[in-house]
Amino acid sequence: MKLPVHKSSGCGGSCGSASNHGVTRRSFLRRTAGVVGGSAAFAAALSPLMDIPEEDRQFDVKKFLQKHYKEMNADEMEAALARVREDVELRYDVRPEIRDIKPMDGVEFVYALNLSRCIGCRKCVHACVDENNQSRDPEIQYIRVLEMPRGTTDIEQGDHHYDRPKVPDEDHYYMPIQCHQCANPPCVKVCPVEATWQEDDGITVIDYDWCIGCRYCEAACPYWARRFNFTTPTIPSDKINTEMSYLSNRPRHKGVMEKCHFCLHRTREGRMPACLEACPTGARKFGNVLDPDSEVTQILRTKRVFVLKADVGTLPRFFYYFDERDPFAQSVPIPGAPS
Amino acid sequence: MKEYFRFLWRCFRLSFHGDWRYYTWMFLLTAVILLGVNAYCKQLVYGLITTGMTDQVSWGLYIANFTFLVGVAAAAVMLVIPVYIYKNDELHDLVIFGELLAVSAIIMCLMFVTVDLGRPDRFIHLMMRFNFPISILTWDVIVLNGYLLLNLHICGYLVYCAYRKRKPSRKFYIPFVFIAIAWAISIHTVTAFLYSGLGGRPFWNSAVIAPRFLASAFAAGPALIILTLQVLRWATSYPVPNKALHTLRSIIAVAASINLFLVGSELFTEFYTQSAHGVSAHYLWFGLGEHNALVPWIWSATFLNVGALLILLTPLGRKLMLLNVACVALIIGIWIEKGMGLIVPAFIPSPLGEVVEYTPTLNEILVCLGIWSAGLLIYTIFVRVTVPVLQGELTYDTIYHTSAEQGHETDETT
Amino acid sequence: MPNPGQHQRHPHPPSKAAQIGGALIGPAFLVLALGMFMTSRATVLPNAPTPVVQPEQIAPVPRRTPMSDPPTALIAGFEQRCNDCHRIFESTWDGERTLEQHQDIVINHGINENCFNCHVRDDRELLVLQGGKTTTFSDVTTMCAQCHGPIHRDWRRGVHGKTLGYWNAELGPQHKLTCTECHDPHSPGYPHYEPLPGPNTLRMGDPGAGHHAEVEARRNPLRRWADDAKHNSHEGDDHR
Repeated sequence: MKLPVHKSSGCGGSCGSASNHGVTRRSFLRRTAGVVGGSAAFAAALSPLMDIPEEDRQFDVKKFLQKHYKEMNADEMEAALARVREDVELRYDVRPEIRDIKPMDGVEFVYALNLSRCIGCRKCVHACVDENNQSRDPEIQYIRVLEMPRGTTDIEQGDHHYDRPKVPDEDHYYMPIQCHQCANPPCVKVCPVEATWQEDDGITVIDYDWCIGCRYCEAACPYWARRFNFTTPTIPSDKINTEMSYLSNRPRHKGVMEKCHFCLHRTREGRMPACLEACPTGARKFGNVLDPDSEVTQILRTKRVFVLKADVGTLPRFFYYFDERDPFAQSVPIPGAPS
Repeated sequence: MKEYFRFLWRCFRLSFHGDWRYYTWMFLLTAVILLGVNAYCKQLVYGLITTGMTDQVSWGLYIANFTFLVGVAAAAVMLVIPVYIYKNDELHDLVIFGELLAVSAIIMCLMFVTVDLGRPDRFIHLMMRFNFPISILTWDVIVLNGYLLLNLHICGYLVYCAYRKRKPSRKFYIPFVFIAIAWAISIHTVTAFLYSGLGGRPFWNSAVIAPRFLASAFAAGPALIILTLQVLRWATSYPVPNKALHTLRSIIAVAASINLFLVGSELFTEFYTQSAHGVSAHYLWFGLGEHNALVPWIWSATFLNVGALLILLTPLGRKLMLLNVACVALIIGIWIEKGMGLIVPAFIPSPLGEVVEYTPTLNEILVCLGIWSAGLLIYTIFVRVTVPVLQGELTYDTIYHTSAEQGHETDETT
Repeated sequence: MPNPGQHQRHPHPPSKAAQIGGALIGPAFLVLALGMFMTSRATVLPNAPTPVVQPEQIAPVPRRTPMSDPPTALIAGFEQRCNDCHRIFESTWDGERTLEQHQDIVINHGINENCFNCHVRDDRELLVLQGGKTTTFSDVTTMCAQCHGPIHRDWRRGVHGKTLGYWNAELGPQHKLTCTECHDPHSPGYPHYEPLPGPNTLRMGDPGAGHHAEVEARRNPLRRWADDAKHNSHEGDDHR
């Protein structure tokens, strides 16, 4: 029984071998032209892949199968570190010293920031960039300093782009914001692959070789602390900090997240983070909150500390406080006093 | 089993055959798909910097389209409910096209999520360390893939039974249909929960997000189905009674009304209180200082939605031409409202109060168009195969006469 | 399911237009291919460079070098011990006339204008403590504490001032900066700095177009009286 026929004219795909029906020289040429044209267009579509840089072209099976940080044993970590060393040498022409530094026992880090002392000089921002091998183009900076007017801690009233000849300005105070290593971190909650988690010393870390770049954590962070590598980061070779650690400042690749990690390659060995060292006024304070004699414990116990966006419930480990003294109080004369 | 592969092979070959309208359509879709592939290759080489996204606005057109299409996929259930629960007759033969649309939409969703990833090569990490049940994104992965499998099974089973001229066994599809009804609600609710659970984004941190999603999905999805069914009627010989279209119209009218009510409800809460919570809504509807890129979009979308609703709720909607106009207006309006009106404003201002606006780049738009074309291509192929099967023209014991199959006449008869 | 054969379509041979159309598909793909090949290298990416910052601008060193102990001064081109001169010359300063030597010293220490509030009149290599006692220049913090009690307590806790080195003194050296490593004792007010460059992130837009001023005007409770307060309080710009 013959059913109605749909005769087609020209087709873009394989249409059976030559038979007595419907395949004329003309239609064969049409079909071949279609196939050739289609293949050429497909090849052209894929042609930008020829521009993949040299260092990204090698496919390393071991790297592809590299386990999550928490699952690697010591040998696997050594192998991973060796791969990172090679990768950094290939890209930046420097030999890094990279290790995997574990948290210290009995340590929980807390950061405190004296808002009466911060003058908004932004030295911390740039010291962090240098220390942590952040991309210079496009710019990635973990710390953002806000110039806040008196009378409020409402962040929306802050100016990110202040550009005065001299700071501080008497009508403002300055609030640097970076990752608060929250004790109830929304970023850790939302990561679908557990590429970010909180370690025992309180630092929220990222396994750069595990992150899939979905940027859900960036959407979830209430403090805008996380950064994404929209392209391969640009770091001048002479600016590379060769003292690296797996979870902190080793150079990242495009497509992964990064953020402040309290300079864990320094702080887990007892040193101060780079932002604190650069701060000229000593507004930044860092230490082990479990040690009753540490500077931060003293601050938490003696100063009126507060946190940002406490209502969101993130329990930050980054505390702000004002001193009793306001550096600009002198510009307001005391009523009735001799000048 | 061998018969099944033969069926698939015949479907594959059939997708290359049709009339001149079919070829024009498929060529255009293929061309746009290739442009999208080209743009995506550039994105693979340079990274997501080829898009307009930034650290401040870190989700853009890809996730906007993803959100819209999850809604379209969920809306297939709007055909299933009347037919299987309320025993509606005129929609009975059309349910399968709704489910095929759902499959195409879900595939598009998965593609949109993949192109949005910074490291798509690492997607196997999802299977190795899966932060379920804490991360809502993992719930989304499960429900979306589950919904895809569910609909593939239902459609595949019914079509293959028609191909084999067997009566489909109820126990192989009825339970799945009912699961699909609940599952469809869940896919869009889970997607809404992705957003509404974030305390750091007050624009999203609202209970009304999930209901809004569902209402807008159940308005835009069936609108798309009304349009595709008419295209189906025009392009093939498959019968699509007007009564079916008008049943869908009444569903859309209700859903669009609820959607508009929820939008109004949100507007009141954001603007009457005048607190910092409403700053993103202020950006969207009135702009912030000099930053007002989204204002014309949201007002156009509202105008389209209200206009469409006026047509749907009045006797004007009974005219098919005006109904089509209303459907197009509703699809565009809800696409804008969900995409630019929901995803992007939550990032503006940033959690630290910085305003950085978002404009998609040409590359980004080409990738989106490529994925849309791929989805339409897949749906076209589904329809190209399903219609002859359901009409009895393509079955295991007959030849569907195209110039392809004529050459194999002796092989195919049983 | 509809009955098979419910609707039959009449077959029609491919029209001339359709044949020509079909023939165009191949060349159309080739044109598309050509277009894509030509534009595939033409990707223009935006720049968002960080301004270069010199290492000395962010060096983790104390702001100033404190006076040595025993203290010295640069007099007529020579670095001299204080008592070399002051043992010979009687100190006749009455608190009024300008100094003949040490003219590089600017006193801007609030109401503490008298040199002998801090310096021992009879031994310039010592500093004054209450009750007639003295201390050395290396113990300057004790002297500052005489007046600046609360700040001194904070400094002792490590809350005020800066600590360089290790947060964990067991693992490495800790250097708590003394008062004079940040503050010039004669003009201790902290100087203003020129801020380092602000952010320049990807596709940031115009940095001057922020809306924070508008928000401040609307939501800052102090704003309503800010202008009046400003007019009354100014004594001049240089407080330091």
